[in-house]
Amino acid sequence: MTAPAPISVDGVSKRYVTPSGPVPAVERVSLTVRPREFVSLLGPSGCGKSTVLGMIGGLVRPDSGRILIDGEAVSGPNPKKVALVFQDPGLFPWRTALDNVGFGLELLGVPTARRREIALGLLEPMGLKGFEAKYPRELSGGMRQRVAIARALALDTPILLMDEPFGALDEQTRLLMGEWLVGVRRRTERTIVFVTHSLHEAIALSDRIAVMTARPGRIKDVIEVSLPYPRALDAPEAVDLHAKLWAQVREESLRAMDGQL
Amino acid sequence: MRVWCWRAAVLLAALALWEAAARMLNPILYVGPSRLPGALGRVLATRDLPPLSGHVWLTLGEIAAAYTLAVASGLWIGFLLGLRKTLGRIYEPLLAALYAVPSVVWYPSLMLFLGLGPASKIAFGVLLGFFPVTLSVLAGIRQVPETLITVAVSMGAGRWTLFRKVMLPAMASTMVGGLRSGLALSVVGVLVGELLGARAGLGYVINYAYGLMMTAEYAALVVLVAAAVLLLDGVGSLIEGRVKRWAG
Repeated sequence: MTAPAPISVDGVSKRYVTPSGPVPAVERVSLTVRPREFVSLLGPSGCGKSTVLGMIGGLVRPDSGRILIDGEAVSGPNPKKVALVFQDPGLFPWRTALDNVGFGLELLGVPTARRREIALGLLEPMGLKGFEAKYPRELSGGMRQRVAIARALALDTPILLMDEPFGALDEQTRLLMGEWLVGVRRRTERTIVFVTHSLHEAIALSDRIAVMTARPGRIKDVIEVSLPYPRALDAPEAVDLHAKLWAQVREESLRAMDGQL
Repeated sequence: MRVWCWRAAVLLAALALWEAAARMLNPILYVGPSRLPGALGRVLATRDLPPLSGHVWLTLGEIAAAYTLAVASGLWIGFLLGLRKTLGRIYEPLLAALYAVPSVVWYPSLMLFLGLGPASKIAFGVLLGFFPVTLSVLAGIRQVPETLITVAVSMGAGRWTLFRKVMLPAMASTMVGGLRSGLALSVVGVLVGELLGARAGLGYVINYAYGLMMTAEYAALVVLVAAAVLLLDGVGSLIEGRVKRWAG
């Protein structure tokens, strides 16, 4: 008997109730993520990518369908198995970088000395040595996001969900953070679901890319990326893949724009 | 440093102007700063006035009681309306409407209900101090960034942890501002209450001196009260600055 998949999304739908009536956000999405796999959810803005991620993380309850983590139904946040990173770093301004990283551990009742040890061990390889005692306002945007990622990694969960974590960063920082994430992934062997609207990011990082349709979000296509790391985005295979993805995403983005006009 | 020099210069200029103006006018009605120390001495020696210390303690006690009650009720109502969305939607407009009424119009009724003693002063101090505290709690709750809540919930924070480790610190700088204004207004409430009708307290003594046309003593008392309030507010501002720096 094989072990259950770390993440199994099984026909989930979600609609949001707005003052102008219910809006279907996600419709019958199914996706199985294999152990230690990096899957990107790619699609136009507003297509429900974040909603899918929120449902996997137990923050959003699906209206129908079900989500299993290691074969168990998700009923709410599960910080022992799933950690989340959001586009907004969401650091606590009254906590130092070190104490921000230790936040989740604090909630789990890990003693102070151990928290400190774990946080220091995470901050150093992220290029944040010497910034442990700094407050978020004293850090750059890229540093803040790294602290937020360290805070999620500190929980040491087998699953990491990232919702456009580099979306608010400038192009250069974004590319560097991507390279850095590839390294982290190699070291930590986690299962990662990564929401993005950037084709380059998806190609550089993913084992598989799930392209989503315009609202209501469905899975349009799932594409395997078998290029070796580190990936050169100007390699012929990467360029082909980019063209193929762009054709799909373009179509959906146009539909998303039509919907708004 | 330069700011302090300028402040001192402005203060000295104001005192000089005040003195010059007072000397040109009727000395019974207009008291210059040079006459204040003597008057203050007479007030403290209680030669012509009722002994001061009893009144001061009474007023301080009333302020303490009023502020404590204002903070307790303000925090309670604020959190109740802020965290229970339905209650908030029902009662917040009512609160805003009450706040818009100049509070002093309630004071005659408070005197009717509670008499001339300390109770009516405390009640008025509570009434005035209550609003800034409540409103700052409501504003503070609205200001807690959604992402901070999401982050904490995703890490398994329950209601109480969320309140203690996320909401309270995120609200701290807004709340501490309201607590500070609340203190200032509780002081105003008690003093105004005493001025408008009382048989004891600092406000009563001020009114007494005024009633007997002891203008120098009256002015000395006012300056004394002003100094005390400034001191209190200075401490408040220090605490506020600290909290704000900590809460970012």
